[in-house]
Amino acid sequence: MTIQMKACLFCAVLFSSVAMAQNNYSNYSQQANRLNTLAKNYPQLAKLRVLTKTTSGKDVWQLTLGSGDADTNPAIVIAGGTEGNHILGTELAIGFAENLLQGSNIDSIKALLSKTTFYIFPNMSPDATEQYFASLQYERQGNSRSTDDDRDGKPNEDGFDDLDGNGKITWMRVESPVGEYKTHPDDPRVLIKADMGKGEKGKYLLFSEGSDNDKDNQFNEDGEGGVWFNKNLSYKHPSFTQGSGEFAVSENETRALLDYLYERFNVYAVLSFGTNNNLSSALAFNSQAASQPVVAGWLQPDVKADSMVVDLYNKTVNLKDAPKTSPAGGDFFSWAYFHYGRYSFSTPGWAVPKTKPDSAKGEKAFAADDVGAHYLRWTNQQSLSPAFTEWKQIQHPDFPDQKVEVGGPDPFALNTPPYKFVADIVKKHSAFLVKLAAYQPQVDIVNVKTEKVGSLTRITLDVINKGALAAHSKLGERSYWVKRINVKVNTGGNQSVISGRKIQLLNSLEGYSSQRLTWLIKGSGKLTIEAGSPTTGSKTIDVTL
Amino acid sequence: MKRTIKYLTVAISLFTIHHSLTAQTPDQLFKAAGSPVNPKVAVSWNRYNDHAGITEICKKIAAAYPDLAKLQSIGKSYKGRDIWCLTITDFKKGNADSKPGMYIDGNIHSNEIQGSEFSLYAAWYLTETFADTKFVQELLADKIFYIVPTINPDGRDSYFHEPNTGSSPRSGVIPVDNDRDGQVDEDGYDDLDGDKQIVSMRRKNPNGRYRVDPTDPRRMIQVGPDEKGDYELLGQEGKDNDGDGQVNEDGYTFQYDPNRDWGWGWQPNYIQGSAYKYPFSLPENRAVMEFVMKHPNIAAAQSYHNAGGMILRGPGDPNDLQTYNQQDLQVYDVIAKKGEELIPGYRYLVVYKDLYAAYGGELDWFYGSRGIYTYSNELWTQYLMFNKDAGNDNSTAYNFDRYLLFKDAFIDWHEYDHPQYGKIEIGGFKKNFGRAHPGFLLESDAHRNMSFTIYHCYHTPKLSVDSIIEKDLGDGLKEVTAVIANKRLMPTHSSQDLKFKIERPDYITLSGAIVVAGMIVDNADLNLTTEQRTNPATVAVRNIPGLGVVTVRWIIQGSGKYTVTVDSKKGGMVSKVK
Repeated sequence: MTIQMKACLFCAVLFSSVAMAQNNYSNYSQQANRLNTLAKNYPQLAKLRVLTKTTSGKDVWQLTLGSGDADTNPAIVIAGGTEGNHILGTELAIGFAENLLQGSNIDSIKALLSKTTFYIFPNMSPDATEQYFASLQYERQGNSRSTDDDRDGKPNEDGFDDLDGNGKITWMRVESPVGEYKTHPDDPRVLIKADMGKGEKGKYLLFSEGSDNDKDNQFNEDGEGGVWFNKNLSYKHPSFTQGSGEFAVSENETRALLDYLYERFNVYAVLSFGTNNNLSSALAFNSQAASQPVVAGWLQPDVKADSMVVDLYNKTVNLKDAPKTSPAGGDFFSWAYFHYGRYSFSTPGWAVPKTKPDSAKGEKAFAADDVGAHYLRWTNQQSLSPAFTEWKQIQHPDFPDQKVEVGGPDPFALNTPPYKFVADIVKKHSAFLVKLAAYQPQVDIVNVKTEKVGSLTRITLDVINKGALAAHSKLGERSYWVKRINVKVNTGGNQSVISGRKIQLLNSLEGYSSQRLTWLIKGSGKLTIEAGSPTTGSKTIDVTL
Repeated sequence: MKRTIKYLTVAISLFTIHHSLTAQTPDQLFKAAGSPVNPKVAVSWNRYNDHAGITEICKKIAAAYPDLAKLQSIGKSYKGRDIWCLTITDFKKGNADSKPGMYIDGNIHSNEIQGSEFSLYAAWYLTETFADTKFVQELLADKIFYIVPTINPDGRDSYFHEPNTGSSPRSGVIPVDNDRDGQVDEDGYDDLDGDKQIVSMRRKNPNGRYRVDPTDPRRMIQVGPDEKGDYELLGQEGKDNDGDGQVNEDGYTFQYDPNRDWGWGWQPNYIQGSAYKYPFSLPENRAVMEFVMKHPNIAAAQSYHNAGGMILRGPGDPNDLQTYNQQDLQVYDVIAKKGEELIPGYRYLVVYKDLYAAYGGELDWFYGSRGIYTYSNELWTQYLMFNKDAGNDNSTAYNFDRYLLFKDAFIDWHEYDHPQYGKIEIGGFKKNFGRAHPGFLLESDAHRNMSFTIYHCYHTPKLSVDSIIEKDLGDGLKEVTAVIANKRLMPTHSSQDLKFKIERPDYITLSGAIVVAGMIVDNADLNLTTEQRTNPATVAVRNIPGLGVVTVRWIIQGSGKYTVTVDSKKGGMVSKVK
């Protein structure tokens, strides 16, 4: 039986490999197939490996793009699937790799791949993302680890229930005099919170679709669960909350990723796809948060760098409707900056567009600015069928005497664009990433001058960073997982350093900045001076004494 | 003639060997109070053991007392050494791993060695005194000890067998590039004179700020602000190996701190110096974590460090004050104050307040994340030198070494030709002095610390079904009220545990009868109850308080015998038949 199933799976993989362009998001085996195809077609530029496996045995992949010895070039990390319900992220990560490699015979891309490495982690939540393709669809974030989400000692005793049998977990509204929700004034399908502070009265209680299976007056509080990748990292780990894991970095996925990245000293920037957003709108500097002993805000020079990259992003991608976010803790975006010490960028990649009323259709401006209402109007304007389940009354055993309806936005509707938009989104993000790589820090040695001082030689030179980004983020300068810029004078047999340091470490170099160094050398002939670090590349010059 | 003498020598030496391996005959011995008179496992408690030595003692104890001690490896160190755990309990009584547990470890810092001997001493003492000490018999019937003598065996062996100071290495041995120059461990200490000790360097200097103490020429003293000195101090033995103008800046002895690697309030190394990659990124700590997660019966823990004579509790993190709540502090305070009494010279202190801020420490994980009442004892204090407070003056140490150790702890200053400093002198206290106990004080302090740990363990919960009272309700129904008592100081759930539901509730089950309803009795006199509507036979109570009771009630049908069973993760299992 098992063998048969495996064989079938193999057929399916083979089949889809010869299949035409995608017309829907890729499931786990399609993702594997696309990645393997890249590794096979571009063996000089793409290396695919399995970073680790989830507890259910799914592969977590890692794809390295770059030519030559990729680990020695400055690198950008790209991560998708940081949130298991963010299906677009994986598509963006794989799509970027496909786009870049397809263009790799172009000189500029060839040059890019010879000086920049991309470490791509297409899907950090392969257990969760499969729920998008499952017969029961819901927005899952947890991996396959068994968890007791309500910590009562009983595992998974009250999960979702597909009450209307449509294969999707949507919403359940219960008419109640103490309800907190009311219908949207411009679209009765949409529920919004009643503003009780303004004397508004609600009409509905709102729950996710399900029953109180364990009769504890709570709904769906302990289903399959699992640990959420984006709640399991070490910055502000939200201990003892659903999905956080028993402690930070408790999971195969998080551990393997961090073990890998901490040994990659060449990484200078991390881009993650997920709800966190510091690309369509810039971070604000908060001096109080930034100066706490346990640093809780981006340092000022790093906020400036973010704002420069936001500019680039908005010119290239234009995602003005994506909301500002405040990271919830335990997330990869925050970890990459606060604990890894690298420039960290994150974008949802897509957001429900804020629609304008079409006066021809008699639409007027929304009285309440709600994403669900925009979604329905946008799909209507675009002549798309909305991922929305019309409210339908059901008999609910937990509310025998109340009117209960199941419906509302389908899972994934509000953060996952219809697939026909994906190619364009991928194209824009690919362009952005190529431009971001052009901001890469790069060390050079210029203005080399030698002069005789008696029989000695004085050497003076400038070590410069000719990239727009600093050699390291300002915060990274403090971390011992970030290397300094090492400047070495390699003297030969009869040569010795009389003044100046034979080996010296520069903490960092800001973008477009330089530092002057000088030595007095005794002896004759040639020597070399070398400056560099993993994030900046290195430069060696010959000096004749 | 010659042959006879040879024969005799062999015979004598055989006899001697035989004698030194086994104990003296019982009739030659007279029992000193409180110590095993003729132990099956002979251990000298006035010296230290490397990992192989510890392994051997552990194996001997487990072999000598199979009903009291079991040995297992809970994981491997970075270099592949076993991390041994001795489980000590009366295996003939009850279900071992469901008894309330006391976890003990030592040596998390490589140079803090005596924690291993102290924890081994407890394992040895409990097994060797079991036969004739009623208290120990009762203790091991109720409780279980998990004793891990060293959770850092690589570091331990490197401290013993490599040239080191008394303070190095603190770290384990995974290489780290401390100065971030891209090279690893390129410039550590150098054992310049090849004596396996790293001591101090001094140099004659007419403008130096030190001079030799006229009362003890071994000792250097700083001259007053208006005085002239004739020596300068040049730090620990070493040179600039990599030519970067710095001495000893990147060695194997200071890679990271294993006690900043735990999953509660963890912070990265730029905030918490010497943190490693993420919580439990060190394999030794990971092994301990996995063991603790698999043993929810552990209710109390001790992690032995040195030095300073302290009984420490958390928090280490100044932002974590709320975690240590009032109810739990009462338990902490009572036990630790008893400790101050049992171990003269030791003071009960709080890490963040009395020492320093420390994020990601072991004791904070045990308590914050697992709800386990945990102390770290900082073993050894200069108080023990002359049984009085030694103050801040290091002349006490010189005097102690001179009159009680006969200068065994000091390497006299001797000349050395240094590649960078020229003519210098090398000398100072050996690595076994200053933080480690001198031999003759080791056993006595081990015993006192063990006694404190036994007291700590004694106060883990001890549950009993105190009474079962029946009342006939008519119509074939009976009301059964059971009072469950906890006879010790610790509740079955610390307040931290209750706050975050770390451990499941305690289950009190009536079996053997048809249960119609079940409830918690909030006030028996006023008949205030809270009914549990699902699964009434097993009433879930959130906690059974220390030195307190909970009362539960069932309505049952029919007659005949039934059993009330209490099943608590940290309180153990008890039952009573009615």
